[in-house]
Amino acid sequence: MSQHTSRTQTATERKPIFWDRLLRQTWVTIVAVFFCLIWFFPVYWMLITSMKPRGEMMSTNPTFWPQHPTLLNFQQALFATNFFINLKNSVIVTFFAVIFSIIVAFLACSALTQYRFRARKGLMILILAIQMIPGTALLIPMFIVFNQLGLLDKYAGLILAYIAGTLPFSIWNMRGFFLAVPDDIFEAAKVDGASDWKILWKITFPLVAPGVVSTSVFAFINAWNDYLTAYTFMKDQNRYTLPLWLASFSTPLTGTDYGGQMAGSVIFSLPVVVFFMLVQHNMVKGITAGATKG
Amino acid sequence: MAQTAAQAIDQVPADHRIRRGHTPAFLLTPAGLILIVLVFAPLAFLCFTSFTDFNQRSLFTGEFNVTGFAQFANVLADDEFYKALLRTFLFTFALVAGSMLIGMGVGHMMTRLGGVMRYIVTFVLIFAWAMPNVASSIVWKWLFSPGYGIVNWMLSRLHVFGDVTNMSWANNTWLAFVCIWLLVVWQAVPYIAITLYAAETQADLSCIEAAQLDGAGPLRIYWQIIVPLIQPSIMVVTMLSIIWDFNVFNQIWLVSAGGPKGTTSTIGVFTYKKAFVDFNIGQGAAISIITTVILMLLTSIYIRNLLKSGEDL
Repeated sequence: MSQHTSRTQTATERKPIFWDRLLRQTWVTIVAVFFCLIWFFPVYWMLITSMKPRGEMMSTNPTFWPQHPTLLNFQQALFATNFFINLKNSVIVTFFAVIFSIIVAFLACSALTQYRFRARKGLMILILAIQMIPGTALLIPMFIVFNQLGLLDKYAGLILAYIAGTLPFSIWNMRGFFLAVPDDIFEAAKVDGASDWKILWKITFPLVAPGVVSTSVFAFINAWNDYLTAYTFMKDQNRYTLPLWLASFSTPLTGTDYGGQMAGSVIFSLPVVVFFMLVQHNMVKGITAGATKG
Repeated sequence: MAQTAAQAIDQVPADHRIRRGHTPAFLLTPAGLILIVLVFAPLAFLCFTSFTDFNQRSLFTGEFNVTGFAQFANVLADDEFYKALLRTFLFTFALVAGSMLIGMGVGHMMTRLGGVMRYIVTFVLIFAWAMPNVASSIVWKWLFSPGYGIVNWMLSRLHVFGDVTNMSWANNTWLAFVCIWLLVVWQAVPYIAITLYAAETQADLSCIEAAQLDGAGPLRIYWQIIVPLIQPSIMVVTMLSIIWDFNVFNQIWLVSAGGPKGTTSTIGVFTYKKAFVDFNIGQGAAISIITTVILMLLTSIYIRNLLKSGEDL
C-alpha cells in the first residue's frame, strides 16, 4: 500500500526527479574528471619530465608545465646509448617470432574451428592452461638447454622462447575470428568441389584476415614488451632488446638520468600504445569471449 | 540428376566428419610439434632438473648428480619459501581486491557518463593499459623517487605525514608494497573496467527502473541487481586477475628487486633469485614445479567457470 502511494507521488512530481538526475549526473562527471586526472597523471608526468631540462627536473619545487621545453633528453636517449642496436635486436626477434606463430596459429585455428573431432575441446583447454604456466617454469629448462646448445645471447634462442610464449595466445585469440565465420560458407564451397587447401586460402583467409592482423599486433606487443626472458638470456649489451635497454638506462655522462629515462619510456611505449589503440576493441572480445553472455 | 545433387548436399555434414579426418591432424601438426618441443619437453626437463643438484658449475661442465627428492625436501624445510608463498597469496589478494573494486566502480561509472566524458575515460584507461610494464615501472620509480619524486613532494605538501621528500619507498617493506600495489592496480583496472562496462551495457537492466521507483538507492541497486546480472563476467575477470597477479614479476623486480632483504620477494621473484642469481637451478626447478601445480589448480577453477558460463571450446 505504501509503495503504491509513493509511486503516484513520484509520477505527479516530475520536477524533483529531473533535478535529482541532473545533480547525480554532475556528481558522476566530477568523479570521472577526478579519476581521469589521477589515472592519466603518471603518463602526463612521463611526457612532461621527458621535455624538461635537467635543472628544472631536479628541483625541489616541481613545475607542472615545462618552463623551458627541450628535446635534449630524446637526443640523449637516442644517440648517447645503444638505442639503434637494441632496436634492431628487438625488431628482428619479434618479427620472426610473430610471423612464425601467426602462420602456425592460423593452420591450427582452422583445424580447431572448422572440423569436429574428439580431442578438440581437450586441446583448447590445454592451450588455455599453457598460457597460465609461471614464467620461471619454462625459463629454467630453456636456459639449461640453450646454454648447452650455445643459443644464449643469440637471436635464435630468444625467438624460440617467444614462439613458445606467443603461439598459445595467438591460437586462443585468432580462434574467435574463425568462429565468427558462418559454417554455411565452407559447406557451400565444399559442395562446389573446392579442395581443403583451396578453401583455406581462397575463402577462410580473406574472411579472417582482420583477426590475423589484430592477433599479430597482440603477439607483437607480447614479444616486444618481454623483459624477463631477454634479461635472462641476453647478457651481452649489444644483444639487449629495448625493454632491457630501458631498464638499464643510464647515459655515460650523467649516470641515473631520469630525463633520459622518461624520454626512453616515451620512445619505447609510443608504438605499443598506438598499435594497442588500433586493435583494443578486439582484445576485450578475445579474452572474455563468452563471458559477457550474462 | 537433381536427386544426386540433393543427396550430395545431404551427405555434406557426414562427409565433413568422416572423410576429412586426416585434414585437421595435418593442420595441427606444426602447432603440436612446436608445443611439444618448446613447452612440454621443457616442462619434462624441468621435472628432471628438480631431482638434480644442477648449479652454476654444471652450466660449464655439464656435470650434476641426481639427488632424488632432496631439492623438494630442502624447499619444504625452508622458512623463506613459506614466507614468499604467504606474501604472494596476501599480495595477490590485495591486488585483486583493489583492482576489482576500483574496476567495478569505474565500469559502472562509465555507464552513467555522457558520450564525450565516456570517450575520455576510455582513452585514459587504454593508455594505462597499453603502457609496457617495463616503461611504467621506470615511470613509477621516478614518481616515487626520494628527493625529486612528485609523489613525495605532494605528500609533504599535505602536511599530514611531515616532510617525506627524501623518503625511500623501495627501502621499506610496506612502502615498497604500497608503491608496487599502486603500479599493478593502475595497469589492471582498465581491462576490468572496460570488460565489466561492456557486460553491463549488454545485460538486461529493465528491472532497475522498477527498483528505483521503489526507492532503492544507487549503491543497493548496483550490488543487488547489476552485480548478480553480470556475475559471469565478474567471475571470469576475477579468476584471470588472480592468475595474472599471482605471476606479477617485472614490476616487483624493477621497483624493489624483492628487497629490502628479500621482504618483498613474491614466489616468482624468490624462484628467479634462487635459479638465476644464486644459480641453485635444481632448487629453482623444484619451486617452479610447486608453483606450476598451484597455478594449474587455479586455472582449472577458471576453466570450469568458463565452461559453466556457456563458453563452447
